[in-house]
Amino acid sequence: MTRHDIPWLSAAETAVAIKTKQVSPVEVVQAYLARIEQFDGHLRAYITVMRDEALAAARQAEQTVLRGGDLGPLFGVPVAVKDQFWTRGILTTNGSRVYRDFVPDADATVVTRLQQAGTILLGKLNLSELAMGGTQAPPWGIPRNPWDLERTPGESSSGSGVALAAHLCAASVGEDTGGSGRGPASYCSAVGLRPTFTRVSRCGMTPMCWYLDTAAPMTKTVQDCALILGAIAGYDPHDLFTSHRPVPDYTARFGRDLRGVRLGLIHELNEDAGMHPEVKQAIHSAVEVLRQQGAEVREVSIPLVALAGAIFVGVADTEGAGARDDILRTRAAELDHASRTRLQAAALVPAKVYNRALKARVLLRQQFLEALRQVDVLVSATAPAPPPKHTALTAPFIDADDVRSRFFFRRAYTGCYALTALPAISLPCGFTTDNLPIGLQLGAGPFAEELLLGVAHAYEQATPWHTRRAPAIEG
Amino acid sequence: MTLSKAERCLELARLAGIPLMEAEVAEVAERFESLMRELERLTQLDLAHIQPVLVFPEEG
Repeated sequence: MTRHDIPWLSAAETAVAIKTKQVSPVEVVQAYLARIEQFDGHLRAYITVMRDEALAAARQAEQTVLRGGDLGPLFGVPVAVKDQFWTRGILTTNGSRVYRDFVPDADATVVTRLQQAGTILLGKLNLSELAMGGTQAPPWGIPRNPWDLERTPGESSSGSGVALAAHLCAASVGEDTGGSGRGPASYCSAVGLRPTFTRVSRCGMTPMCWYLDTAAPMTKTVQDCALILGAIAGYDPHDLFTSHRPVPDYTARFGRDLRGVRLGLIHELNEDAGMHPEVKQAIHSAVEVLRQQGAEVREVSIPLVALAGAIFVGVADTEGAGARDDILRTRAAELDHASRTRLQAAALVPAKVYNRALKARVLLRQQFLEALRQVDVLVSATAPAPPPKHTALTAPFIDADDVRSRFFFRRAYTGCYALTALPAISLPCGFTTDNLPIGLQLGAGPFAEELLLGVAHAYEQATPWHTRRAPAIEG
Repeated sequence: MTLSKAERCLELARLAGIPLMEAEVAEVAERFESLMRELERLTQLDLAHIQPVLVFPEEG
């Protein structure tokens, strides 16, 4: 194996190559650093590259390999995290000039657990400002989608999506408030998982919305996603919301067919008139693949999904404005124009309207749980259309209708799982005729990540999408 | 007296203690109007007997 082969490996394959001494951890880190050097000048996936720290950790890992012993399934794997996770002694910007000098004195629990699993932190990844989405002029550059440099890689874990599509890290952890992990995964042909709300600690993860934020494994393959989730999940005394439930082996269902698994196509999303025809066709084809694996497929109705975008913004933006109250009062001028005006508008929402959105969220959860009594896994697209051009996102709003069409409609697809605190995964399920990625979204009941990953793995193994390479990064 | 969108927005911002930039008042007003109009759709739901929760109890 040559240095040029290394970045094309999955995280799991990388760990095996290290364990079997086909490559050393130093060679692996050097290979990724070389690619970052080559491509990230224009892709802008990274805000901070931790070259010296990563090489030092790799040299230490090399000694561990030489001593022998039980190396875990992620040992020596170079990972990168969204720059929303605190890293001790390392700049943590949250994508905002407001935090341009913020150097935490502690690591986020997610970062600690990744290190305990033997991974090597390559750096901190770009994101939309304050993990919100819609940033017009990102302070650390516009992250570009390797599948089409003129198009967005998705928001807000944009750098994670870019880094995976360009093979600038072996695996990543992003963050998902309403689709911030699954959206970029879909737009960049990667895998992104939103776990059950309380599954992964949020200690040291700068909040966007207190009751919706989750850490989100983002990876090249479903197996990598299962391994990263296994490494970071579990109770944390520093996060009062984390669950005490034991962490299972998330690869336990791999290799099984789907006989006995009941899939439910969400009617309101799959029959959405605004859905791009090629996305609709890709979802239809994906369902056929799952059916051939033995799954039973039926349609389910979740009427309130149609309002999920409105409910999501009513909860997330209003809480987000609350969480940023100090900034809005004293440092608003340092925010990007779009972030500022979005938060300011949300800060004016009356309490009774916020309260109504919270109640609607509970009703939405009831409808999801009712559907999940009929089926095991819910199916839809992750996004109703392929990634739009950057210019389509950053153009000034014309009027309230323009705000609605650009802001609320697409949020229903991923926001519904955030609102209902349920796990959902996005994985590649095809490409448009313009070679733009399409994502399949699977959702399930509380703590059913093992089932979700099993179904996703069965689909992935039956299809070629995860093996395709983005045109901008061959080299 | 009927307030314009911008005037309503400015008054709410004043009451909430949120300073707005003069050049951005119109955009904040459009965003706010759109948000309120969208959230108005939730009034069609029967939510009278639903207790809002922040974290669902079965998640623990």
